[in-house]
Amino acid sequence: MTQPQITRVRISPAALGVTLVLLVIQLYLFETVLGAVLDGQRSVLPGAFFVSLALTAISLFLAFRSTVEHRGGD
Amino acid sequence: MTWWRRAFPLELAEEGHFSRREFARFLAVVSAGFTAGIGYLWLRKKPLEGASDPEAKHAELPVALGLAADLQPGQSRLFKFRDEHDACILLRTPKGELRAYRQTCTHLGCAVRYAGERLECPCHLGFFEPDRGFPVQGPPSRPLAAIALEVRPDGSLWAVGELPKPTLESLDRRADCPREKTEVTA
Repeated sequence: MTQPQITRVRISPAALGVTLVLLVIQLYLFETVLGAVLDGQRSVLPGAFFVSLALTAISLFLAFRSTVEHRGGD
Repeated sequence: MTWWRRAFPLELAEEGHFSRREFARFLAVVSAGFTAGIGYLWLRKKPLEGASDPEAKHAELPVALGLAADLQPGQSRLFKFRDEHDACILLRTPKGELRAYRQTCTHLGCAVRYAGERLECPCHLGFFEPDRGFPVQGPPSRPLAAIALEVRPDGSLWAVGELPKPTLESLDRRADCPREKTEVTA
């Protein structure tokens, strides 16, 4: 008697790694932007915002959509 | 079973479980937080506290600083510029040139003081050179905000505005910054 195979969906390790790298980039970007703003250079803000938005969109996509199917009981 | 376990029936094994996907979602939310922070800085019209604001929309009110000849090389004097919280320092460099800077250290905001040959921040031992306000030692990595000075025909000295901070685009900073001079000459 064979047990039915269970399919589990997980996020792939590669996607998790990319998300981590994107967060490090975000941290560096925010620190740089904050330093620039404190120096009175506000012209970097629009560009930095859209770059940060794009990175966040990629992170959200990876966190919610990137999956790997595992077959088996565990 | 102890009373507190009955009062708080937590299954610790399950509570400690944190899936890979939940972690990825947490990272994505933190990433969104950084984006929101940059967006807030973009939309915020008022400069951050202690931030340089060379493009102030309001008209600058010149502040009288006394006679220019009163200050000898190596001496300094404190003054307020835009308001009572805007502490600045006027100094005459050993070369005899007058300079004025905002007194806020660019590291963590302590008040810098003039120690004869350089400006020093006593909190974390950061030092700035007096000619341009560049950091030369210690934790600060950004130059001090400089105040524009004007000597009028009667010899009186006035603070008339804030100078924009030097950038790589606006001047040959690498050649002028003492901290990076070694990199240029190397």
